Order: sequence, then C-alpha cells, then structure tokens
Amino acid sequence: MLRFLTTSGDNTESVDIAIVGGGPAGLALACALSSSQAIRESLKITLIEGGDLSKVRTWQGHGDIYSNRVSSITNASRQFLEDINVWEKVESERTTPIEEMQVWDGISDARIVFAANELSSVSSQPIQEMARLTENLNLQRALLQCLEAYPGVSLLDKTKVDAINQMDNGWPVLSLANGRKIQTRLLVGADGFNSPVRSFANISSFGWSYDTQAIVATLSHIPRITTEYQGPNTTAYQRFLKTGPIAFLPLSPTASSLVWSTTPSLAKVLLQSETGVLAAMINAAFRLPYISLDYLQDAILQSHSQGTPLTTPAILDEIRWREKSHGIDIQSAHSSCQPVDELVGIPPAEADLLPPLVLSIQEGTAASFPVRFNHAEAYIGEGEGARTALLGDAAHTVHPLAGQGLNLGLADAQSLARCIETAVLRGGDIGSYTALMPYPQERYFENHKIMAVTDKLHKIYRSDLGPVVWARTVGVEVLNELLPLKAAMMFQAGAQSTNNHFSKDMSAFKLLTLGVEFASSGMDLAKSLLKNLGGAANSVFQYSNKLK
Amino acid sequence: MNLLLSTSLKCSRHIRPSLRCSATRYLQTTINKDEINHFSKLSSHWWDEKGEFGLLHRMNPVRVQYILEKLQEVEEAENTVSSSSKYLNGRALSGLDVVDVGCGGGLLSEALARLGANTLAIDASESNITIASLHASKDPLLTGPNAKLEYRHTSSEELIKESRRFDVVCSMEVLEHVDNPALFLHSCCDLLKPGGHLFMSTVARTPLSYFLTIFMAEQVLRKVTPGTHHYDKFVNSEELVNFFHEEMGWFTGVPGRLQAESRGIIYLPWKDEWILAGRNDPFTTECNYMFWARKPL
Ligand SMILES: Cc1cc2nc3c(=O)[nH]c(=O)nc-3n(C[C@H](O)[C@H](O)[C@H](O)COP(=O)(O)OP(=O)(O)OC[C@H]3O[C@@H](n4cnc5c(N)ncnc54)[C@H](O)[C@@H]3O)c2cc1C
Repeated sequence: MLRFLTTSGDNTESVDIAIVGGGPAGLALACALSSSQAIRESLKITLIEGGDLSKVRTWQGHGDIYSNRVSSITNASRQFLEDINVWEKVESERTTPIEEMQVWDGISDARIVFAANELSSVSSQPIQEMARLTENLNLQRALLQCLEAYPGVSLLDKTKVDAINQMDNGWPVLSLANGRKIQTRLLVGADGFNSPVRSFANISSFGWSYDTQAIVATLSHIPRITTEYQGPNTTAYQRFLKTGPIAFLPLSPTASSLVWSTTPSLAKVLLQSETGVLAAMINAAFRLPYISLDYLQDAILQSHSQGTPLTTPAILDEIRWREKSHGIDIQSAHSSCQPVDELVGIPPAEADLLPPLVLSIQEGTAASFPVRFNHAEAYIGEGEGARTALLGDAAHTVHPLAGQGLNLGLADAQSLARCIETAVLRGGDIGSYTALMPYPQERYFENHKIMAVTDKLHKIYRSDLGPVVWARTVGVEVLNELLPLKAAMMFQAGAQSTNNHFSKDMSAFKLLTLGVEFASSGMDLAKSLLKNLGGAANSVFQYSNKLK
Repeated sequence: MNLLLSTSLKCSRHIRPSLRCSATRYLQTTINKDEINHFSKLSSHWWDEKGEFGLLHRMNPVRVQYILEKLQEVEEAENTVSSSSKYLNGRALSGLDVVDVGCGGGLLSEALARLGANTLAIDASESNITIASLHASKDPLLTGPNAKLEYRHTSSEELIKESRRFDVVCSMEVLEHVDNPALFLHSCCDLLKPGGHLFMSTVARTPLSYFLTIFMAEQVLRKVTPGTHHYDKFVNSEELVNFFHEEMGWFTGVPGRLQAESRGIIYLPWKDEWILAGRNDPFTTECNYMFWARKPL
C-alpha cells in the first residue's frame, strides 16, 4: 500500500471541520452541525475565535438598556433557529416583532408600507410578524449555550489563527497563536470581512466601499404603547435621504435602534457632537424637508471645521426656525420640536407615519461602521485552496438598508450544514468539491439577488445624474426599486423551506423523454434537430458551471 | 464473444436480446483489453472532480442513496433491523462485507468504507488500483489502523476462486463495458452470500440513452471522452430482469419489491445534478439506472 507523506509533525491534531470565527455565522454553523445526529456521531469539530467568548456567554441585558448591535431576524431565519433548538434560548422579552414597515423617499415622499399580514397570501399559515429585532449578543449567547449541550464541538476562544497552509495530502493546516497546529478535512471561514480563510483559499472578491458610514445607536424616545389611538412600537421606519437611508427599529415601548447610513464626514462630526445634537438631527432626518436637512448638515460640518461645534440648543433653534419657514405646525407629528410634556393621550394626526420622537441617546451606544458591498467570487475553494468554504461576512458584506446581513449568514449556515449532513449520510468526503457544491448552488445566487437590490437602491440615492434625480423627485424610480426590495424582504420573511423541486424536475425530464421518443422515429431528422439543441444545452452547462 | 446481439439503432427498440450464459463458465474472461487500456489512460483524471469524471462524482451520492434506501426497505420489511438509527448516524453499512467490482478510482469504494462497510474493492486495471490506493492514502480515515478499505488488482472471476463471500456486491457502470455480460453477472452472483444484495448501475439501450450518453455527453458536450460508451453493449432493465428470472431462477414472473428492482437515475443539466427517480415513474429507466436483486436465502 502506498503511504502518503505529510509535512505534519506529531504535534498536529486532526479534525474533520475547523470553523474560524465565532461571530453569529460561525456559531450558528456549529450549532446547526451539532443538531444533526449523523454529524455529531461521526465528525470532530473545532471552532476557533480570536476574541473572548466569555463576555458573550455571561452577557446580561438590563431593563430598557439595549446594545447598539441589533439585527432583524426574518421568519425564515427564526424557523432555522427553532429547528436547531437555539431560538428557545434567546431571551424573548428582549426581542420585538416588526409588524409593519414604512419606507419613504426623502425627496418625493413616495411611500410604501408593508405589513406582516400581507405575507399570509404567500404562506400557508397566517403570519403575524415579518421579522424580530434581537440584540446580536442575545442571539450569540443563545448559540453559545446551545453549543454547551454538545461537547463534541471544541471551542477555542482567545486564540488567533496566525497562518494557514496546505499539506501534501491537500488538507489545510492551521497554525494557532498558542503554537498548536490543527489539520482539517474541511476549513470553514466564518471569519468576517477580512477573512483570512478567504485569502488562504485565494478566492478573490469583488466590491466597493460606499464612502458611507453607518451610525448605530440605541434611542430613548417618548413611549409608544397600544391605546385606543395608536398601535404598539412594532413598526420599523426607513427614510431614504440623499446621503443614505436612516432606519428606526423598535425594541421596546420606549427604546429603539438606529442605523443611519451617511457620509463619513457627517458621521464623524455627529458622533463628536453633544448627544443632544445627534438626537435632534435624528428627529429632523425623519421629518424635515430635504432641502432644510441638507442645510443643517452643512451647518454642522462647517461649525466643526471652524472649531465651534453647534450646541444642542443652537441646533434645536435652527430646526424650529426651519420648520416655521416650511409651515410645519409645532404640534403636528411632522415637527421635531413637539412639546414633549403634552405628548400623552391623543397623538397628533399622522403620528403613525413617523417614529416616536427621540429624547436621548443611550450612553455609550453611538458608534459607526463602514458600509461596504463585497461578494466573494466563490464560496468554496479549489486547487491549493481546496477543502474550504466561506460563509457570512467572509463571503458577502451587504448594505444594512435591508437588514439582511445577519440573515444571509444564518441561511448560509443552514445550507452548509445540510450539505455536510447529506455528504455524511451518503459516505461522502465532506471536504470534497462534490460534497460542497450544493452549498454555493443553493446560496450564491440567493445572496446575490438581495445584495444587488440593496446596492442598486443605494446607488440611485447617491446618484447626481439628471434623469435619476428627476425620477426620484416624482418617486418613480424609488417605487420601481422599492418593490423588488419589498418582494425580496417579504419572500425572506415568509419563506418556508422550498426543497420540493423534485416533481418539477421530474416533469421536465418526462418532457425530454417524450421529445426523444418522438424524435427517434426519424433519427436523421432528430440528429440535425438535436445538434441545435446541443448548442442550447451547452450554454446551459457553461452557465451552470459559472455559478459554481 | 459478445452475447448481446449487436443491434442497429433502428431496430434496438424491438429486439431484446436475452442474456444467456455460455456453457464454459469462467474459462473465459469477461475483461475487454481495449476497454481496460482506455480507462488506464484516463485513470489519472479519476479524482479531478470537475473533469472527465465529474459526472460520475456527482452521480455517486445518488448511487449510495439508492443502496441505503433499498437495504433499509428490505430490513424493515423483514423486521431484521434492530433500530433504523444506523441510517441516521452515517454508519449505515457497519458490519457488512461488501465488494466493489470494477471500482475504478474508488469513488464508490471510499463512500462504502466511510459508511462502515468492510470494503474490498477490485479492478481489472492495475493503474486504477494504483490511483485508488494513492487517493485513499491521503485520507487518515481510510488508512489508519481501523481502516475498512482494501484495494486489489483482480477480477470477479478470479475472486470467486477464493472462499470469501459478501453481503453486498456492487458493480457500478461496469456491465456495459464487459465482453460477456452473462458470465460477468454469474461471477457477481457467486460472490454473494445467500440473501446477499447485488447492486449495479448501468445504461439502457434506448434512443434516449444514445442521445444522452453518446450523442450529447461524448460528441456534443465532450463531457465524456468519445469512445467511452458502446451503444450495442448497453443493457436494458428488462433484459436484466429476464436474466435473473430465466438464467438464475432467483424469482418467477414479475419480481416482487423484495426480489429485484430497477430505478432510474436522471441527470439534470440545468442543475448539474443527478436525482433518483421515483419507483413508478415512466421512462426513467430508459437511460442510466440502478438495478438491484437479492440472492434467495
Ligand atoms: C462595527 C459593526 C457594526 C455593525 N452593526 C450592524 C448592525 O447594527 N446591524 C446589522 O444588521 N449589521 C451590522 N453589522 C454587520 C453584522 O455585524 C455582520 O453582518 C455580522 O456580524 C456577520 O457575522 P459573521 O459571523 O459573518 O462575521 P463577524 O461577526 O465579523 O465574525 C467574524 C469573527 O471571526 C473572528 N476572526 C477573524 N479573524 C480571525 C482569526 N485570524 N483568528 C481567529 N478568529 C478570527 C473575529 O474575531 C470575529 O469574531 C455591523 C458590523 C460591524 C463591523
């Protein structure tokens, strides 16, 4: 028998799956893998994370104080988390349903509204909510708790992966900061945007930085509680401004989360300003006509560059003055300066079109992160980077405007885990191209669709081109683009498992059979006919090869 | 000598040559020299999953799926299964003695060994055995002290001379390449323990199979090297059923669900994926199909 020489020394451990990255995507994959009996009983799994996971494990939410990293979990993601017994460990009192979304254009005011009950038409059961807002930490803690029940996965945190190489037998080998070496049948990169696994696998990615920062913060606002006159705080609001969208995501009757994509310079000065200035600007950004908002933003930038930042009273004065010139009544829902003490009892007309008035920013929650579009050219490695798979932000970074970033990563984890389970049940080599191929087939195009819609929307808003700007002012372009976004989000929200393509494939095969049966009665005719068909089929092959 | 009558395309639908055995069993070999040379040339490509054998790599999980489904069905019908959980834990073949006849590069053999079978994999081409052994040696699971995989350069006719018999005999995409299919089938059957399972996959001799395997795959798309298939060597599932009925006497009349079965395996070019057809789907055994038969106890 031929013996294969490996470069690994005796101190190299061997595992079946090494996951690099203990973010939401990596942890969800580890849980999904462990929830499969076949995988649990046959594969050795290690997860390596550079950061300290004990902070996540011991995290405690306190009352109405919320973390600034919040994600909307779609119904499809939630179903997946329920299936792998994670959702039950998420502290549900700290999650909030989104029952409605109000999305409108800052220039034309063209608006679309979508409500959870619209989903019922695409689903077999009535649907109450389209997504659920959850602090990332709440979810990550649940994922960690879930993993504790599965001792088969070894968690190495506070351990950085320093280098990755390929052994002579084609397996990747990890060199850890603590000196350990681990060779693995399959290496999974859940290691975020700067993915070292992606670099090892030599998978290039295409994308661009948007020259945009997303400001996140937890907002304290006037209470929105169900009364005779208004509904609960379960509506998400998003207004598209020329500098990017601003989104308001409900967490509790008096707290909500902000994601405001804007220019890096404005993000910087807003975060440097008094928090009262940020709060006032958030209220204004949802309410003021665009021209005045633009003016205010310039004023803030200028005051900072002159070293005399505007104070909270100064900015409030400015807003009040602008509202007056637009004829906005201070008592109306469209005013950012409504007298707060009087805001009990009957809310003003159209209050439900706007988020509740922000009173303050929770301490230490205002932060920002760069917004990017980035998609790896492949999700599985080949050749010298064979036996690798990417998921989550390592595979794709998406604009936060559709709230899909985390959901795409969870869907990746679900798909990859299923693919690995199938390979195990069929005796496959889980690191092989054949075993892994169904994963990108299932996910690449799905992710690309959502990413493309959000990218296009972002660009339309940032465009200065005449026709695009005109179309925006009358709202045409916006509605054209928002509708696919809506469809994408609704589909995500209402998606049930769609694995039953079998009968469709069978009927297509029957058609082919009948066609050939028919053609064989005159083989010559058939041959010339099929030659043309061959061309068509060939392009199908090439197309499907590209997708891989 | 080729017992399958050579048939022209035109009349292929109407003539069903029966598989009969030559009188002098095992005196002659079923191995075709040209075929062996052809595959030896290709063997370095065996494990290029996107190359020549990509289609076969993709088909492999479906073959295994069928093998497991059938074994489970029989076990459940006969209540011999202690618990069906072994079909859920990735060790479905644990404890079974399995021989893979015509193992090629070892695509199926490796899968059988991973599923726990004591696997003997044989091939008439020495270079295939070299390639297969080399590939398995890269995987600690298949080479360690508990490894369940053994490769040997031999034929089923040779192996039969030894005393070892098997619970399962697999022979994938071999029947359509041998010179004397009846003799070949006899040797496979003789390798089985009583009550053992024979699994084969092969290609039917129909206009559809000509179109897909020779015209499209070899000539148009060049996914498969031209010359890989010979239309007149293809075997229809009715012919196999007849063989096991008339020649082997494994059952009488139409075989029952626990005696023999053919199931289509269908390639979906738009997905680059194979699927196992439903049991009663019409036309599905007109091209690639799996055949299973059980040796009477
Ligand atoms: C500052 C910030 C704020 C964000 N806020 C929001 C938000 O409010 N809403 C929203 O929807 N999305 C937000 N996003 C995006 C969202 O966080 C990501 O989509 C999501 O976290 C992706 O999860 P992931 O598991 O794929 O990657 P990550 O969460 O990035 O996890 C990758 C993990 O890999 C580890 N790692 C990397 N390299 C190594 C190595 N060499 N060795 C060991 N470990 C390594 C890292 O420590 C990290 O824990 C934000 C992103 C950032 C950066």
